[in-house]
Amino acid sequence: MENISALLSGFQVVLTPENIGVCMLGAVLGLIVGAMPGIGSLAGVALLLPLTYKFNPTTAIIMLGALYYSNMYGGSFSAILLNIPGDSPAITTALDGYPMAKKGRPGQALVAANTASFIGGTIGILILTCTASGLANLGLKFGYAEMTLVLLIAMTSISWLIGENPIKGIVITMLGILVASIGMDTLTGAPRYDFGSMYLLGGIPFTPFVIGCVGFAQVIKLINERAADEKQRQGEERNVKLSIKDSMLTKHDFRRILPPILRSGILGTFVGVLPGSGATTGSMMGYAMQKKFKSEEPMGTGAIEGIAASEAANNAAAAGAFAPLLALGIPGSGTGAVLLGGLMMWGLNPGPLLFDSNPEFCWGLISSLYLANIFTLLVAILVIPFLIKILSVPVKYMIPIITCVCIVGAYSTSNSMYGVMVMFVSGIVGYLLEKNGFPTAPMLLAFVLAPMLEKNMRKAFIASQGSLKVFADSPLKVVLLAIFLILIFTPIVKNILRKSKAKKTAASV
Amino acid sequence: MKKVLSLTLALLMVLSLAACGGSKKEEAPAPTGGDAPAAEGFVPDKTVTWICTSSAGGGSDIFTRKIGEIMTNDDLVGGQTIVVSNETDGSGEVGRNKVATMKNDADYTLLTFNSGDLMPMVTNTKNRSSNFRILAIMAVDKQLMFSCPASDSKTDYAKNGGDQGDFAAAIEAAKNGTFVVIGGSKGDDITTYNKLLEEVGLTEQQMGYITYDSTSDAITAALGGNVDFVISKPAAASQYVESGDLTPVLALANERYAGNLSDAPTLSEIGDYENVEVPVWRGVAAPAAMSDAAVAYWSDVLGKVSTSDAWHSEYLEKNQLIDEYKDTAAATEYVTTYEADYMAANGLS
Repeated sequence: MENISALLSGFQVVLTPENIGVCMLGAVLGLIVGAMPGIGSLAGVALLLPLTYKFNPTTAIIMLGALYYSNMYGGSFSAILLNIPGDSPAITTALDGYPMAKKGRPGQALVAANTASFIGGTIGILILTCTASGLANLGLKFGYAEMTLVLLIAMTSISWLIGENPIKGIVITMLGILVASIGMDTLTGAPRYDFGSMYLLGGIPFTPFVIGCVGFAQVIKLINERAADEKQRQGEERNVKLSIKDSMLTKHDFRRILPPILRSGILGTFVGVLPGSGATTGSMMGYAMQKKFKSEEPMGTGAIEGIAASEAANNAAAAGAFAPLLALGIPGSGTGAVLLGGLMMWGLNPGPLLFDSNPEFCWGLISSLYLANIFTLLVAILVIPFLIKILSVPVKYMIPIITCVCIVGAYSTSNSMYGVMVMFVSGIVGYLLEKNGFPTAPMLLAFVLAPMLEKNMRKAFIASQGSLKVFADSPLKVVLLAIFLILIFTPIVKNILRKSKAKKTAASV
Repeated sequence: MKKVLSLTLALLMVLSLAACGGSKKEEAPAPTGGDAPAAEGFVPDKTVTWICTSSAGGGSDIFTRKIGEIMTNDDLVGGQTIVVSNETDGSGEVGRNKVATMKNDADYTLLTFNSGDLMPMVTNTKNRSSNFRILAIMAVDKQLMFSCPASDSKTDYAKNGGDQGDFAAAIEAAKNGTFVVIGGSKGDDITTYNKLLEEVGLTEQQMGYITYDSTSDAITAALGGNVDFVISKPAAASQYVESGDLTPVLALANERYAGNLSDAPTLSEIGDYENVEVPVWRGVAAPAAMSDAAVAYWSDVLGKVSTSDAWHSEYLEKNQLIDEYKDTAAATEYVTTYEADYMAANGLS
């Protein structure tokens, strides 16, 4: 109850014309920034931080909060329409979103993504409101061993994306892990695989790598398939006129996406709270979990459930990440760290005292998330008819446009040509891999998860001095370990059972 | 549909208003030149680029932007604009190498250069501080060891009933075979840890170290009970000490700190050891090709910043740093010695 009254006082702070204005502005900017590949929430918040110095801190954080939040919506736009994830949490959205758009339902895919974002985010914010500091403390209970097990479970999701040829899938996963290990060792600072190059010392930057593997590889593919595509287009020219009405979900669609949204919303919030995991892990876990449930169409072929699961989880995680930030001054992600820097610039001391010393600030921020969520949904749905027009643009115009977007996105990560080089190289490699039957999604997931797994596992081993006992000495760890083992062994056991059954039937015949 | 339209219109208005506001702020200050400093021979007559090899929002970035802001606000740079460029490729090595080898515009390029930048640079590349002109050192920071005795017991030391509030007891326990684990960030904190280890005569197998990407990550680990002790600068830990979450247990300095950190004894107080103090400095460097006149000019301007009220109230006090301005000559000598010591201690040549 106390939290509810605090929230209401928070709404009092937010519902001034000025704050509503900046909240809307933040939502719109976030949507734009999120939709541009390469400029994720991190860069968006960092770029706009200086703009807010002249505001009072509450107004400023409301704007940045709204911006961070609506970013998670924007990321799905280019993922669904162009197969270029706007930010890393949208990688899993692209897996089903793009095929669904290709199937002629781009409007529904976007609306499903936005609806999922909205409901998932609302779940996250509600949990945040009710538990606030309690939630943050829950995150602290997770030690390295627990995080290692959670990440191992997340890693199993890769096996679903491997495709028809398991050997190729494993090869490509290993490649992702290998590429991720380039750069400085996170624990000792020793250079790995730098081949004497100064650039490689900092590792392969994530965003250009993703833009290249997915976006630029797509461009090369389009160039190759241009003639065929143009022929096909002439036939369906008239069908692409879509209005908001045509994009709306049917009752049946809605019934399909609701269960994954609810599941992912709750899971995502929790993942967001864990220190250092953030929205990317959230959306991957959400997507992986959906694989375990029934979908009407197989996942990865344009199943609306897949879009819903990953989008709901990533928005919920974004909301969840605010809990440790506000209650403990711990950033759950890079963006959180920049926000934290901003708080300090405004003379606020983020940390365990913030809720007590600046309640109007904390609750103002939380209530602004509610507003931002609604604004973003409205804006996002309104722009859908315009966005869909992108799909009707002939390929010969799309190729240079997407190339430009890729270059700008890759450049903006570190404001240097290095990012662009990485983008081109990984684009060409990505295309060749794809063409030879190596799916790139497992590589990207391995690239994201492997460094986190390595970090947590090595820390666990340092603390335990190399003893394996550390992974099974508490009930929580045992449960996590059991989930992991079940995930690993179920297919094997099933396989054995099926074979023995087949033998029996063969013998009886 | 009308509502939708009015909402869109409202949005557009807000956007255009904000756009106006934004552009006003970004306008470059008109060159006045009236109060330009008196250093002879050199006065900047175009935009100055200040390279910061850490990402936006972090400690180095705030340091850089604060100085830039004071320089512009107090009209110390002849009305010119200072543009901060965050160049983080290759963990910052690319940016540092670029500045070191820069020939054109050398007089108009500055680089934020801290002890935390120097250590990985000399370890992983052939770049050395002698490839730069060191313009000034602006502030020095020292460290403390903190712990969170109320956290969940996840470490060997805590599980065996060790007192995380007592570092002397932890040293004893480590000597008797209980593993004690310390957390901290990269660079500065590792150096301090190694010095500490050497001083108390322990090995990494007795008292281990976990490296975190940032101090705030390390503090999180201490709050969660994942490490027994955490090395941090005062500013990052201050809030947690005030709230009672972290306890200062050891001052890594030659004398005790003031205020709420005064409870922490120095190393010589808790046993027969020498004090361990590794100064963490924040400085400004420039390309080797910068002209002498420009070096004198920038060193002088940075000196003026260091005596300004804004620098003291908005930066040093807020971050609990020690005011220690060194001009180009003193700073060059200081950095050279620091580098030589560091390289000798780590077997680098």
